[in-house]
Amino acid sequence: MKNFFGYIGRAFITFLQDLSGLFYLFLETVGEAGKLLFDRKKRKQARLLEQVDEVGARSLPLVVVVAALLGIALTVLISFQLKELGGLNYMPGFVAVAIFREIGPLITAVLVAGRVGAAFTARIGTMKVSEEILALETMAINPVRYLVVNRFIGMLIALPALTLLANFTAVFGGFLFGSVRLGISSDTYVRETLEVLVFRDLYSGMFKAAVFAVLIVLIASYRGLVIEGGAEEVGKATMSSVVSSTLAIIVFDTLMTTAFYG
Amino acid sequence: MIQAHNIHIAFNDRSVLNGIDFSAERKKITYVLGTSGCGKSTFLKVLIGAFKPDAGAVFYKDTDITKLRGRELAPYRKKIGMLFQHGALLNSLTVGENIALPIREHTALDDNIIKIMVKMKLELVGLRDLEDLYPGQLSGGMQKRVALARALALDPEIVFFDEPTSGLDPIMAAVITKLIADLNRLLGITCIVVTHAVDEAMRIADKIVILYRGKVLAEGTPQEIRQSTDPLVRQFITGSPDGPISFRASSKDYREDLLVR
Repeated sequence: MKNFFGYIGRAFITFLQDLSGLFYLFLETVGEAGKLLFDRKKRKQARLLEQVDEVGARSLPLVVVVAALLGIALTVLISFQLKELGGLNYMPGFVAVAIFREIGPLITAVLVAGRVGAAFTARIGTMKVSEEILALETMAINPVRYLVVNRFIGMLIALPALTLLANFTAVFGGFLFGSVRLGISSDTYVRETLEVLVFRDLYSGMFKAAVFAVLIVLIASYRGLVIEGGAEEVGKATMSSVVSSTLAIIVFDTLMTTAFYG
Repeated sequence: MIQAHNIHIAFNDRSVLNGIDFSAERKKITYVLGTSGCGKSTFLKVLIGAFKPDAGAVFYKDTDITKLRGRELAPYRKKIGMLFQHGALLNSLTVGENIALPIREHTALDDNIIKIMVKMKLELVGLRDLEDLYPGQLSGGMQKRVALARALALDPEIVFFDEPTSGLDPIMAAVITKLIADLNRLLGITCIVVTHAVDEAMRIADKIVILYRGKVLAEGTPQEIRQSTDPLVRQFITGSPDGPISFRASSKDYREDLLVR
């Protein structure tokens, strides 16, 4: 029993330490990102487009496929229920709202956290273990500026863009199922969708995507930067980076959904 | 040039440095020798401001660098270069980009000028043709030389070397040792070398400091060290397995340790 409380206590202290570490990393990153955006030479060196490409373009196939499949699955489930109630014509709007407000941003962020977040942690962690981070510091180069800021900005651009694309792909998946299997005419489908979907659904989803982008980059970088030890630690940190960023995404998603629509 | 006073540092209650006093003079080569695990790498990290000691001070000119935090260390760090034990080159950048990095970060020089500077630094270490290769494509000795070129990028006043010759073949080790001597004689760079290679130190050092169990055991010119009568020093410089320095790391009594359980 004593051991149990000891374990809980230690876990809580670690959690608080991580939280304060993340907070400082956030301040440092935002500060450095601000400086970078006003400095033409540094902006060029940061190769922001490369990061957008890494996060965005290369995640694109995965995101598109998953979004289309989820769009279809969601439509199947919702239309089955609505058909029972005789309200199949509400289906398109229902699906679109669910996707734009919730499923699009959430699934895109989770996919990117698994794909890109894990890579960030492994990359930064390997650099930490091989003293490359210490070498940067010794050259008076701020590792946060050099390694985190460009990823932060790249992610802030790419994740909302990917989310937008995922939204439309998923809605299109639903549209395909609706017109092929349920025989809803395309005119009706589009009209019903646009009748329900409002601009607020779009930007609340984009806002979520931006928050998720910040979470993914900060947690992934933090997990990498605090590694002490060897290759084994890099593996552990990569795993815990994906787990904790996925958890953080879902917690913030719930908070934001409640705040916007609750 | 650089002075350390009474440095204490402990990790998880295990004391690593126990009051080290150290000084290195300008334009001289100072070797810090010691057995593995005697705290010499830790001491080096204190000197470059990477570890904060629990007690003590490190003065560069008139500034105590142990009191500086984060950004305040930048002016000091632009004056020093460091050759890490395994090079610590950035693996995602080419050799040329690695050397250009500190120049790009800290000066407003044009790309063409930076290119020329990179070539000059590489020529110093004899590797001018390797500019476009990645560190992963180089041998250990070459990586170290490239890392040295990077450490020299900003024309530092002091260069720190962490085990510059460990893990290299004898010829490459001799090449690196000669490079250190040349840097000092030709460019007037203050060199501080941490190593366990005694012969090398005897050959080129102006001053040798021997650390043992987190303390300074002896210091002096190679001549003085060679003539020392201290049995610990004698054992260390002759590399004898028998003597007062035990190969056992345990401080507990062996019999007690066996019987207690």
